[in-house]
Amino acid sequence: MATASDSDPVRRTSRTGRSIPPGPAAILPTLLPAGLLLMALVLPRFMFQSDQTASKIGLGPAAWPDAMLLGMAVFCVLWIVRDVWALGATNRKPTLSIPIEDGHYDFGKAIVGLIMIISYGWSLPILGFAVSTSVFIMIWCLFGGLRNLLVVIPVTMIGTIALLWLFMGLALMPLPRGFGPFDDFSIWLLRATGIY
Amino acid sequence: MAAFELLGGGFLAAFQFWAFMTIVTGLLVGVVAGALPGISFVNAMAMALPFTYVMEPTQSMLFLGGIYVGGVFGGSISAILINVPGTPASLPATWDGYPMTKRGEAKRALTIAVTASAIGGLVSALVLAFLSAPFASFALKFSQPEFFAATLLGLVSVIAIAKDQPVITMVSLLLGIVVGTVGVDPLYGQARFSFGVPEMESGIRFVVVMIGLFAIGEVVDLLATDRDLRPKKTGGKAVGAKLRDILDVKWAIARGTGIGCLIGMIPGAGATPGAVIAYGIEKQVSKRGSAFGTGVKEGLAAPEAAKNATTGAAMIPLLTLGIPGSAATAIMLAAMMLHGVSPGPLLFIMDPTMVYTIFAAMIIANILMIFAGIGVAQLFSTLMRTPPSILAAFIIVLSVVGAFGVRNNIFDVYVCLAFGVLGWGMKRIGFPSAPLVLGVILGPLAERYFLTSMANFKQDWTVFFTRPISATILGLALIFILWSLAPSIKGVMRRRN
Repeated sequence: MATASDSDPVRRTSRTGRSIPPGPAAILPTLLPAGLLLMALVLPRFMFQSDQTASKIGLGPAAWPDAMLLGMAVFCVLWIVRDVWALGATNRKPTLSIPIEDGHYDFGKAIVGLIMIISYGWSLPILGFAVSTSVFIMIWCLFGGLRNLLVVIPVTMIGTIALLWLFMGLALMPLPRGFGPFDDFSIWLLRATGIY
Repeated sequence: MAAFELLGGGFLAAFQFWAFMTIVTGLLVGVVAGALPGISFVNAMAMALPFTYVMEPTQSMLFLGGIYVGGVFGGSISAILINVPGTPASLPATWDGYPMTKRGEAKRALTIAVTASAIGGLVSALVLAFLSAPFASFALKFSQPEFFAATLLGLVSVIAIAKDQPVITMVSLLLGIVVGTVGVDPLYGQARFSFGVPEMESGIRFVVVMIGLFAIGEVVDLLATDRDLRPKKTGGKAVGAKLRDILDVKWAIARGTGIGCLIGMIPGAGATPGAVIAYGIEKQVSKRGSAFGTGVKEGLAAPEAAKNATTGAAMIPLLTLGIPGSAATAIMLAAMMLHGVSPGPLLFIMDPTMVYTIFAAMIIANILMIFAGIGVAQLFSTLMRTPPSILAAFIIVLSVVGAFGVRNNIFDVYVCLAFGVLGWGMKRIGFPSAPLVLGVILGPLAERYFLTSMANFKQDWTVFFTRPISATILGLALIFILWSLAPSIKGVMRRRN
């Protein structure tokens, strides 16, 4: 598949950073078709909530997802068969191969980055957009290697206010304001910047 | 001859100062809105609708038409620069446009994209001006089975972009279609796969999936690698497109434009299938088809031309029959009706000046788009010189806001983040994400057309094969699959021998 992300040659090993652990990396592509097959077979049972029954008129609401899941199961079986066949042949490779990283890929840094992004999304309704965004931008920049506070602080402040003005002021988007003192702070900030 | 005279009158009206400024403003709003992932030009058109109350009917159409033309292109700016499609139709721009950015050829990619888009849009606008009547009568023959067949053609075209992995591509596509079935079904009103979560009953929006899969994985990779997206300079100047680059892709643009015009006039098909089909066909036709996905100019130009070629064509059913073929043209219909204008055959008789002013505006907007697009692209290209950590932080924030803005709901942010983690994992193990996104975009459309076809034709599935146009499109889909799989089949045969 020629996605931009997939097309670049990527080497899994890393020169300076932590690489992908070899065990999970090798097992995942092999387990994936089996996992997807299991999902395709099990999911139809969970299509409707227990107190609902599918309509009996015409094809019903289950027909299309059932057909798609069946198709997925068939292709997963083909995938598994092909991989099993590849295991037996000397010059064959599994269908899914881990892209090779071209140079440095710090797996540990990537995991920390993902945790930071998830924490940002999780904190949005609690801290509000203004606080969580400014904290996120600042931590991300510092973690990303930009250590000059004379750059990081103005970028954080001006960036957050510009985003607030653009989305809450201009596009009238009701972005989260947070709870308790964070809500009060968000309202103060929005009034101070002339958005409210 | 009458059409030429009327179009001349339309140009005179469109070149009036305020009319012209309205087109320019709309165009700039569209390009910027399209370039912001999650905001989308359709949202910008919806937000602009109240402003059209104070405008003349023709002026309101010029404004919305400008946003439409600019927005369809704008989505490719973020697709090319940061691998995040601003609109679903810009998805193919990530496949060959972003690899060019990674090579330091962002400016060249953007120039090729804007030129191809403008040419596609311009031809489409000319088709709209001179061939509306025959195209409209053809579009009138389309019903639910034909819409289903056209959507299916868009779905199967993904096979063409599957390198040597048609099975995995199909799994990814079907997984995307299954994700698209979450929520209330289009015909029976029953919620599926909601797992007791009320927000799930409203379904999973493709924009949220698209932002999550593309933006988050890319940003995490930016953090974890030494990748530098800054435009490479030769002799102090960033690498831009030369006339030679455009001439090299002239046939790709021509093919993309033809496909876009044909797909665009089908109500409900829209720019996304047009762009994906154009990419798939170009991959088969081009001499460098096997290198597609690594930053090939033709792979960028063809879908870009097709995408904008749908804009004028999509206006044909709107203006001639009063049928909006997409969300964007539905907003334009709403604007016309707000002003008491009813589109349809009578409009051509009652107010030909208005109709031909709109035609002229579409032509002008596409010509102006080259300048507006290059200007905005230059601006965005300059933004790429920002240190990667600052750029990445803002991409994440804009992505989260984009996901939130789809329904002003924090649940969509959580879904976006979940798909972000999934997308990163898929990227790490080499599982393709583009077919999944295409499945989420086109799957719900395919289901709706399939179920309504079955309901309208007494559950007779043969209707798809007995209606000539539907059967022809399905035949084309089959030919397309075989054509795309031919190299793989040949390879297997050769290995056996």
